[in-house]
Amino acid sequence: MSVSSAMEENPPKVNKWDGNALKNALDDAVKDVLLSHFSYIESHKLLDGRLMISSVAVGFSIFALVWDWLYPFPQSSRSVMLVCVVVYFVMMGVLTWYTTYLECGIFCTALNKDVAGIDPDQIWNASSSLKRFDNKYHLCLSQRTGGSGRPKEARTVLTVENYFDETGKLLYASVAKEVLRLYSDLDSKKN
Amino acid sequence: MFQMDFLDDIRRMNCRQIFYQFLNFAMIVSSALMIWKGLMVVTGSESPIVVVLSGSMEPAFHRGDLLFLTNYEQEPIRAGEIVVFKVEGRDIPIVHRVMKVHEKEDGAVKFLTKGDNNNVDDRGLYANGQAWLNRKDVVGRARGYVPFIGIVTIIMNDYPKFKYAVLAGLGVFVLIHRE
Repeated sequence: MSVSSAMEENPPKVNKWDGNALKNALDDAVKDVLLSHFSYIESHKLLDGRLMISSVAVGFSIFALVWDWLYPFPQSSRSVMLVCVVVYFVMMGVLTWYTTYLECGIFCTALNKDVAGIDPDQIWNASSSLKRFDNKYHLCLSQRTGGSGRPKEARTVLTVENYFDETGKLLYASVAKEVLRLYSDLDSKKN
Repeated sequence: MFQMDFLDDIRRMNCRQIFYQFLNFAMIVSSALMIWKGLMVVTGSESPIVVVLSGSMEPAFHRGDLLFLTNYEQEPIRAGEIVVFKVEGRDIPIVHRVMKVHEKEDGAVKFLTKGDNNNVDDRGLYANGQAWLNRKDVVGRARGYVPFIGIVTIIMNDYPKFKYAVLAGLGVFVLIHRE
């Protein structure tokens, strides 16, 4: 039924004491399950938004650097510097708002495109959080029908040590089982 | 075995995420740059924070002290103030005290400086034939200071290999560390 993915054949090994590495490995595994078990397409819109905001901010900073080099302070460059600095920090604020409110932990968006092209896409969002020094990985899968639908959500909490062996290798099969269970939970839930 | 683990993290990233790692690094550098430029704008000085390099202002300032400068045009330069100035032709700024001031009605000033710990005034340091400093030579006026911290900058400048090693190490760490 499902094609065996590269990650399934060769699950990653991480430093099991590094919480950040564990979360990243679990996120990658969940994303891999979602994309390889179903023929969903990944949507990069969220990450693209973040890249766009950061690029604009860095662009302004590079512009300030070049301008200052061409027209050394203080003659005439003061207002340009002021604008660049203010815009840069405003962009940083926008980025923080974006990551906190718009993204909120979503690391994967998969689209279930309708074959006939008539119905709007089903959008699946996977988000997760793992507190520092904690071993509870909170995973939330949400499904929304594109456009207007209210999202249906299913959450689960995974105890991190059950999904890695002693050497730090990811136990892909256990993760896949959890993800598929969440998926069928969501699918069967009537609105 | 431990070296390969974190490189694994990189291999699993797709090109968007790799681009984001570089952007992350660029944002950290840009934040430092923007804070510096912001300080330049607010204080009006081209170098708002300087490190004292010599002992010519002891016992007020010692080698390695950090000085905070402002350079507001409206504030006149008066005798007794500590100024940081650059002599034409040399790019290292000097921190000394103003001894004598001549001021014309239109606001043009010329002044003479001397280090507290020096026996003679700075005429020997000025450019050939120059006997007085002008407003445009001033980088800023010292407003506040933090002792000792500037020693790090002095060490980094004396041992540039150490500086590059630290910067390279930090850069690599930021590029490789995910989120």
